[in-house]
Amino acid sequence: MSALLESVLDHINYLGAMALFVIGLHTVVTHSNLIKKIMGINIMGTAVFLFFVAIGNVTDGVPPIITGEDVIYINPLPSVLILTGIVVVVSITVYSLSLVVRIYETHGTVDQKEIARLNDEEAGL
Amino acid sequence: MIAQLPIVSMVMLLGMALIIPLFKRRNFSVTTSLGFVVLLAVWVLTLLVLWHVRVEGPMTYRFGNYEAFLGIELYIDLFAVLFVFFILSLIMVIYVYSTGDATEGVAEKEYGRYYILLFILLFAMLGIIYTNDLFNTYVFMEILSITTVSIISIKRKKENYTASFRYVMLNEIGSLSYLFGVALLYMVTGYTNIGLVAESIGQHWTAYPANATTAIGFMVVGVGIKSAVFPFHVWLPDAHSTAPSSSSAILSAIVVKVYILIMIKVLFRVFGLSVLDVIPVSTLLIAVAATGMIMGSMFAMAQTDIKRMLGYSSVAQVGYIVMGIGLISVLGLQAALFHVVSHALMKAALFLSVGAIIYKKKIRKVSEFNGMGFEMPVAMVVFTIAALGMIGVPMTTGFISKLNLGLAALDGGQAVLVFVLIVSGFLNALYYLPIIINAFLKDNPSQIRVMRVEKIPKTMLGPLVVLGALIVYFGLFPGVLIRVLEAVAASLL
Repeated sequence: MSALLESVLDHINYLGAMALFVIGLHTVVTHSNLIKKIMGINIMGTAVFLFFVAIGNVTDGVPPIITGEDVIYINPLPSVLILTGIVVVVSITVYSLSLVVRIYETHGTVDQKEIARLNDEEAGL
Repeated sequence: MIAQLPIVSMVMLLGMALIIPLFKRRNFSVTTSLGFVVLLAVWVLTLLVLWHVRVEGPMTYRFGNYEAFLGIELYIDLFAVLFVFFILSLIMVIYVYSTGDATEGVAEKEYGRYYILLFILLFAMLGIIYTNDLFNTYVFMEILSITTVSIISIKRKKENYTASFRYVMLNEIGSLSYLFGVALLYMVTGYTNIGLVAESIGQHWTAYPANATTAIGFMVVGVGIKSAVFPFHVWLPDAHSTAPSSSSAILSAIVVKVYILIMIKVLFRVFGLSVLDVIPVSTLLIAVAATGMIMGSMFAMAQTDIKRMLGYSSVAQVGYIVMGIGLISVLGLQAALFHVVSHALMKAALFLSVGAIIYKKKIRKVSEFNGMGFEMPVAMVVFTIAALGMIGVPMTTGFISKLNLGLAALDGGQAVLVFVLIVSGFLNALYYLPIIINAFLKDNPSQIRVMRVEKIPKTMLGPLVVLGALIVYFGLFPGVLIRVLEAVAASLL
């Protein structure tokens, strides 16, 4: 039992990332509120970023700033890559939110089911 | 020196996108002619690179001359240059068409923005194909998807907004899955450079089978969503049918194919045969592709809107390409690459000819095409050629690609796929032939029976004729193209 617990604690970053990824995916796929879908995408993005940054971690490592002392540095490359990733996801979020504003202006709702109903009614007429 | 030309051409495209706003107060024809000059210059540069690569072999270009494991690298080989060249040629044809079409449904003051997006789109596609870095591919993928979705939502209509929203959500799931795959690969290899990852995976993947398997799953599914492989196709018909006609052609003919090229790169460049032989990717891809080939055509038959029908037809055609990839043989890959080219030509011709009809007659319903062959003979003849190509009638590129796919399937010992190909061909005939027959044999409501060339701008007629001629030309003389693609396929495997 304690071996299992230890293994869970050792990989807590990876497990957390995986859990967040699934929560995010679930939110995007099942919720009909468009804003919640965007939140789901953000949670998924965070999961991937957490996973990426966790890979770069080295036990007892310090941030790679050269001070002359003899220490172990963490791998800075994943963090740098993820800075780019964050920018990308922010721009996608902004774009989708602006789309939601437009959808609200034209349909008067941000609920997917409601929008589908309105479209069906229009097609029926 | 010549290794710098790809990045120079990318910068030229991006620069063109940035200077379009400066010409806001001038006549709009100044912008479009300048854009054409830039496209032509990039095309000539790519031709130069293509010739060089054909003679001297592949080359690499490093940004800022950092080492490969640290910096970003462009890998310029025959595969990359050939497809960049093809994409640029096709874009030039569609670009000429779009200047005449007045990009249907887009407000006059948005034209400039449309061309800005078009050039950034082109820049991102070149980047995706040239880059030799997995993370860089992700960044270009996101640029591509955000410009694509902006082009879809540039028409200020209700359905465009909802279609774009769905596109953004599903594509974002795809991109993040792909990025997760990259993370898993980085975890075991410590690189994002495709060459170094492949080397490391080839040697050590048996020590980390879980990572390799999950990574391949995440990456193929991620790219599969973006290229509308069958179960993930739900976003495609809405998005492609609501976009302006000339950009429907670009999205369906080119953008979807770019993601398929990424899939080919991931499967064959990153993982390679040693992994693919053990993990049953091939079986899964073939199963998904075969279902897509049948179901895509089934859905297409049920459509009343012609552009939605063409969208579903794209789903079926992507199935053909994925089937060729799934066979994992030189013959299969060569057939898949040939179908990438041939479907791009046919789908561009279909969307543009339908676009011409929508431009002139303002109709979109399949049932309203009766007698259209007399009113708009050129558009309808090109439509007919392309539709016959989709069905797989001899003398068109569609026939050659189906023949190649069938031969590759037999070569791989999968005779049942030949049956699927034939059934899918019949299904295509079931929804394309009625349109053609009604257009040429039935009377239309206005009783016009005089055939004369329709009055649409010359810049729209020219591209249509060129595309129709190309479909027939490559259907009659596919030899050169097939030989080149065979060399490309052999270099990938």
